[in-house]
Amino acid sequence: MKILVCIKQVPDLESRFKPNGSKLWYDEADLAFRMNEYDEYAVEQAVRLREQLGDAADVTVLSIGPDRVGEALKKAMAMGCDRAVHIADPDALLRDPWQIASIIASFAGGRGFDLIFTGMQSQDRGSAQVGVLVAELLGISCSTTLVGFACDGEYVIAKRELEGGIKGVVKLRLPALVTCQLGLNVPRYPTLPNIMKAKRKELLVIPVAELLATGPVAATVSFHPPMRKGSGMVLEGDVSTLVEQVIGILKEKTAVLR
Amino acid sequence: MDLDLTAEQKLIQETARDFARAELEPVAAQLDQGDDRTPFLANLKKLAELGFMGLNVKECYGGSEAGVIAFSVAMTEIARSCASTAVTLSVNNMVCEVIQAVGSEEQKRAYIPRICSGDYAAGSFALTESGAGSDPSGMTTQAVADGDGFVLNGAKLFITSAPYAGLFVVWAVTDREAPKGKGISCFLVEAGSPGLIIGREEKKMGQHASATNELLFDNCRVPATALMGRLNDGFRIAVGELAGGRIGIGSLGLGIGLAAMEYATRYATQRSQFGQKISGFQALQWIIADSFTELEAARLLLMNAAFKKEQGKPFGKEASMAKLYATEAANRACYAATQLLGGYGYTRDFPVERYTRDARICTIYEGTSEIQRLIIAREILRTFS
Repeated sequence: MKILVCIKQVPDLESRFKPNGSKLWYDEADLAFRMNEYDEYAVEQAVRLREQLGDAADVTVLSIGPDRVGEALKKAMAMGCDRAVHIADPDALLRDPWQIASIIASFAGGRGFDLIFTGMQSQDRGSAQVGVLVAELLGISCSTTLVGFACDGEYVIAKRELEGGIKGVVKLRLPALVTCQLGLNVPRYPTLPNIMKAKRKELLVIPVAELLATGPVAATVSFHPPMRKGSGMVLEGDVSTLVEQVIGILKEKTAVLR
Repeated sequence: MDLDLTAEQKLIQETARDFARAELEPVAAQLDQGDDRTPFLANLKKLAELGFMGLNVKECYGGSEAGVIAFSVAMTEIARSCASTAVTLSVNNMVCEVIQAVGSEEQKRAYIPRICSGDYAAGSFALTESGAGSDPSGMTTQAVADGDGFVLNGAKLFITSAPYAGLFVVWAVTDREAPKGKGISCFLVEAGSPGLIIGREEKKMGQHASATNELLFDNCRVPATALMGRLNDGFRIAVGELAGGRIGIGSLGLGIGLAAMEYATRYATQRSQFGQKISGFQALQWIIADSFTELEAARLLLMNAAFKKEQGKPFGKEASMAKLYATEAANRACYAATQLLGGYGYTRDFPVERYTRDARICTIYEGTSEIQRLIIAREILRTFS
């Protein structure tokens, strides 16, 4: 079984973000990057399937971006992926989900992947579109927001998270693409010997120009921090009037009291 | 010249940091205050399985073969969350490395994999005695050849991990007539050997989860194969291996110092007095600037020592400089962090109090600051005479 995992490298979410010069995305200077958390679940699930199937399976991990994404790819290989594909693109962070999906589909098309894993969304752009667009472009079945996964080699049984804590179960015939939600599994820490051995695994670099044949369909027009909230209201006076004031405010400005 | 970590070193740093935050930090305060070592030992086992016990050890002995720089950055990340875990890691790595450097092939295959895999929770380095601390050549523990082995008698002090160590690297006098330091040999003694007694545990100021015990030898018989390296050549081994351990302890100190200053700086940006955040006061900005400058200098000294060792170059002076500076800077950072927190820094509700106690031993163990200065001065003066 040929398995593909698509991962993105994103800034550590504890970073302080500020808009870049064009005010269309964040400034990358001083940011530390790591694998998108949702994608860690995707890698873990792919590696578990690889372990379940043994040498009958082969896992390729793919990422689009500048040189530094090599670190995220090496982590995925240290976690157990067999080989990596780095689509070299210094402008990857500025591309819209359609272009990213097109690049991936262009790579995956004709290579015979039976199963593709992606994270449900990225922690920075958060569009949650890339996975489903890749499936659509490749014409394969797709299920999103996985919290449970099983595969017998012919079908995927996917447990999905729906709104309000409800779960749904979907059966997909391979080839298929699934997007992984947090909590799907417990991603492993890469062991140090495996980090060192990942150096010896195949890492293929493909210039993005060989795969990108389409322009964006959506453009970011502004990137800015949220407006600062005004300071809260401070009520003063006698308790009996305070209670009335609070009830009045709750009735007027919220749905708590009618 | 490239001061950046490699992709592999960055991944090891990230793995150490992720593990430390997720597994060590939540139990560090509880381990500091309690007597139950269960979570501490469980985390040591997990760290062994990830490959942190033999960072600079060859793969064929179960090590990670990741190098000295990776060892240093991993130690710093672990120590940010739990100094007790970090010191155990440092000693375990040192024990593996000393066996790898001077042990026989049989000894390497018998013991290094057990420490690297976590089969042994720890290895211990039994050098210090009550009358032989900074001057280990003054030790009195004896090993006397007897039939097909040796019989050890004496007492060691301040032995890290003794109650749960599977193996002890023990130094003992084998030639009482030889000049000082020339008649000492090194032995590998397995836990449970008859006559090896784990003595009293010290009640320490900090690093509580890591046990520090007396170790007694009462006619402890070991086979001839327990001798490591050549007879009467043990002191040279000890002195050589301690230099590598100093990179570990310096890195540990750096981790505590960073943890303290990062906590205190975040606090200073949130705490208001006189109608403004206290980080707005220049007096406190200078404390923050000085502390982080010192910690960055410590990091670079450590990287330099680690790089030299990794390249196979002499690194003794650099390791002593890094250990001296990093551990003293860590103590100053903890002092500064406490000052930034004010009265809260003196309470156990905030971790800076623990960091301060944990940091204090760093200028003492693995060679005091004064011994480091002796080594540094000796190396410098050698080039002038």
